[in-house]
Amino acid sequence: MSIVVDSVSKRFGEFTALEDVSLEVRDGSLTALLGPSGGGKSTLLRVIAGLEAPDSGKVLIAGEDATRKPPQRRNVGFVFQHYAAFKHMTVAKNVAFGLTVRKRPREEIEVRVDELLKLVHLDGFAHRYPSQLSGGQRQRMALARALAVQPRVLLLDEPFGALDATVRKELRAWLRRLHDEVHVTTVFVTHDQEEAMEVAEQIVVLNHGRIEQTGSPRQLYERPANDFVMGFVGPVSELSGRWIRPHDVEILHEPSDGAAEAMIDRIVHLGFEVRVELTLGDGEKTWVQTTRANAQELELTDGEIVWLRAATEYDRVPA
Amino acid sequence: MRSKHVLRLLALGYLALLLGIPVALVFVNAFQDGIAAACEAVTTPEAQHAFYLTMVMVAVAVPLNTIFGVLCALAIVRQRFRGRALLNAMVDLPFAVSPVVVGLALLLVYGRRDGWVGEWFAEQGIQIIFSIPGMILATMFVSLPFVVREVIPVLREVGTEQEQAAATLGAGPFQTFFRVTLPAIRWGVAYGVVLTTARALGEFGALSVVSGGISGKTETATLFVEDRFQRFDETGAYAASVVLALLALATLLAMNVIKPKEARR
Repeated sequence: MSIVVDSVSKRFGEFTALEDVSLEVRDGSLTALLGPSGGGKSTLLRVIAGLEAPDSGKVLIAGEDATRKPPQRRNVGFVFQHYAAFKHMTVAKNVAFGLTVRKRPREEIEVRVDELLKLVHLDGFAHRYPSQLSGGQRQRMALARALAVQPRVLLLDEPFGALDATVRKELRAWLRRLHDEVHVTTVFVTHDQEEAMEVAEQIVVLNHGRIEQTGSPRQLYERPANDFVMGFVGPVSELSGRWIRPHDVEILHEPSDGAAEAMIDRIVHLGFEVRVELTLGDGEKTWVQTTRANAQELELTDGEIVWLRAATEYDRVPA
Repeated sequence: MRSKHVLRLLALGYLALLLGIPVALVFVNAFQDGIAAACEAVTTPEAQHAFYLTMVMVAVAVPLNTIFGVLCALAIVRQRFRGRALLNAMVDLPFAVSPVVVGLALLLVYGRRDGWVGEWFAEQGIQIIFSIPGMILATMFVSLPFVVREVIPVLREVGTEQEQAAATLGAGPFQTFFRVTLPAIRWGVAYGVVLTTARALGEFGALSVVSGGISGKTETATLFVEDRFQRFDETGAYAASVVLALLALATLLAMNVIKPKEARR
């Protein structure tokens, strides 16, 4: 089901968490809310879920005004960063919770719980308690619990934030596959641009309670609306007073029109990627990202004088 | 090694001197005329009635203070309102005020002749002071803070995420309370109940003011002990004390017997 957020504002005392935020999430899509902490992304997610009431503005779920509805009547699935597992219940009881409070017949609940535990690869853990699961398993349990009631939308608040790097990567790929299987409209919050790029179809960049840009991962990376987005979604270097992606800088051995003179300070080999650190004629430091093959072809050496030129034009924004 | 032993010895010695030896002596003195005499002393009609009254106090004060305690803790921890700090401080009042003062205060409110509302109650035919309702009020007053104080830290630690998760899963406020909040704080509540029970069993000061100490009528077990002692019936006083001590001990044990079973998983 689609979600529409219409000019929502929310303040906590003196702090403005959201200011006139409008947003549309297509039915069945996978959207990331990306931004630094304190940028308002979690508040926006909680407003959609009904866990916070907006000061002004509207929230529509499946075309229906949900602004005044309490969370228990919105039929949304919500996954918390720290799992919010019911510690006194087994995994099966946790997953069944939404169905139990809806007073569904016991047989139906059992079948559905089995199904969901298989979906999140926790079959065989039904009678364990959350304290006997790892972080990744607990989060998968929380996801199964949220999906059990067949929510109209699935909302995830930094779902992998408390997990270690390996498990994070695994669960990211897994969430992507799960979405392809289940097709429920999904919105997740993250402060990790790589996570957003990898998982989401649509990314909403939030900063200081405002939306900086909405677009596909590629649009954001290649055509950032402003320097905040440019700096947040990928690496930047500075060349001739402008910001540019470090892999969009060409290194030349000869002077050329519009090329800046620079001296190579250091060449860092990072496997496939090679980082060239340089000092420009005006004393400013910059860096260029290139491939191993390209670096070999250019036969770059430390202390060499080279010329730098932008390889593409479109993704430059004033520094 | 040596300092570890010193610490242990100090702790045990302190407890032995303050608690162990005096309580042990009560047991010894209770049975100085033999077990039969002790049994007889606590099975007289007056004694039986005294223990019955003590049980009535516990049976009314503990459930009411438990319900109030949990609701009060919820209000203090989960809500923001004017007077929250005052409420929080007020709850501790029974710890700070001497039970005798509590008894006198109840006299001022419910006393038949010059109490604030006592006269009105008397006209309705309800006697509060020198009668069971007043004694229950006194017991409730002194045992009020325990559940609140035990539940507040547990409620803080549990946080609100589980409750929010329950709400998003479709649970209403009552379902959330009974299925999520209450199970999460159950050990805090249980410990509060044990302490409330122990306090209600042992209350003396406020009761001695409001009960009038009419033997066989408004005399609880603690008042019975005092009464026997004043009449130089040492066996009666000490035997009843032993029963009181055993009741309190049983409450503590009951708690420790159920708890590990559930906590072990």
